[in-house]
Amino acid sequence: MSTPVIFDPMTLPSDDNVNSYTFCVELKASRWFLQKGKMIAYYGQINFDGIGHGRFERLVRSSFHSPLHASDWVVAEGSGKMLLADRAFDVNSFDLEDGNLTIRSGNLLAYEPSLALKQSIVPGFVTLIGTGKFVAASNGPVVFMEPPLRVDPQALVGWADCPSPCHHYDHGYMTGVMGGIRSLTGIGGTSGEEHQFEFVGAGTVLLQSSEALMAEQATGAVPNEPGVPGGGFAPGGGGTPRMPGQLGDLQRRFGL
Amino acid sequence: MFRLQGSKTLAVDLTGDGVKAKNGSMVAYDGRMTFKKLSGGGEGLRGMVTRRLTGEQMTVMEVSGQGTCYFADRASEINLVALHGDKLYVEASNLLATDAGLRTGTTFTGLRGGASGNGLFTTTVEGTGQAAIMSDGAAVLLRVTPQYPLMVDPGAYIAHQGNLQQHFQAGVNFRTLMGEGSGEAFQIRFEGDGLVYVQPSERNTVGGDV
Repeated sequence: MSTPVIFDPMTLPSDDNVNSYTFCVELKASRWFLQKGKMIAYYGQINFDGIGHGRFERLVRSSFHSPLHASDWVVAEGSGKMLLADRAFDVNSFDLEDGNLTIRSGNLLAYEPSLALKQSIVPGFVTLIGTGKFVAASNGPVVFMEPPLRVDPQALVGWADCPSPCHHYDHGYMTGVMGGIRSLTGIGGTSGEEHQFEFVGAGTVLLQSSEALMAEQATGAVPNEPGVPGGGFAPGGGGTPRMPGQLGDLQRRFGL
Repeated sequence: MFRLQGSKTLAVDLTGDGVKAKNGSMVAYDGRMTFKKLSGGGEGLRGMVTRRLTGEQMTVMEVSGQGTCYFADRASEINLVALHGDKLYVEASNLLATDAGLRTGTTFTGLRGGASGNGLFTTTVEGTGQAAIMSDGAAVLLRVTPQYPLMVDPGAYIAHQGNLQQHFQAGVNFRTLMGEGSGEAFQIRFEGDGLVYVQPSERNTVGGDV
């Protein structure tokens, strides 16, 4: 029988992975932002407080710019070592050096306050800007790819430095009445891969090696202003139900 | 003799002796095996009644024979625990198999269980031998010493052994009630000398959302 590794406060790694599913953060009278409920255990003296706590006003002003996600995030403060994990997903830490990275909001577990969290223009994503370390979860190990490339929406974890994430539709499968029926009903066969995200330019794209998504976080809605993508949509509200025979939203986008 | 075949399958080599395992967890065997459902986990009538009353139910079978028997359950990671006369406290749902010589029982855990959603009782395994416990994702073993108490999220706790006291720690304040809670309002605080097993995943708990 192999003897399992037993960790104590001395042997736990500092700001590194304990195993592929667990990450250990060392706090030395410092603060970290972490997503609610991702702490599984800690040694030492650590307090967890909601973002709205008055003492954090300065911290939040400099490194948290996403009021929509405020209720999902807490500040860990104190000294000790804490373990982070999420539903037995793989966790990895990444270092940003004066860089930027955009990531699906549910996949980001924790980050150092030297980074600033901002809500991305792309709904459901957040952007980290600055220098520091953050911890992200993915279903299966993360794969790094270089643009230009097209990725499956469910496999996308995030991207760094890429200036132009956009949607790509395989046009041939979508046009015409037959294409509409096909994409709507699946009759005639769809591969399920007609829609991708496309990245061009210099940068890195992070993919997970499965198409299982993290549970969507309830993020509320962005301000209802002209020009704000997603503004004015009530998520989940979903507009009028689609009638049978009505062509999908895709057709409208193609002007059909 | 317990050994791991990969991290998600337990292989037990049997030479005429027996092993107690979660009902239905056998995936394969070679040699000759007999499987017998043990009513009440082999704890006798008193154990059966206790389990029924405490809700810490576990259906156990006894496997005996010659050869190798393989156990697995829903692709959970399996951790082997060697017991030398000490006591292992584990949630019944996380216990996969024990040596036939180990005694299992039920014990009151105090307030902790209420918030962790695991019930107020937990299963104990004691004696000398091996046990296999399951976790969602590879478990992390954390040592607790008198200088270094450990706080654990109730949803991530799976088992502990050694001489540990556990206290239930609640950080509920008016912010929690206003929906500005930290999500970490409930913790189990372990003090003393021993080992705690945590899994990198949280069960859905009553306390998890506040």
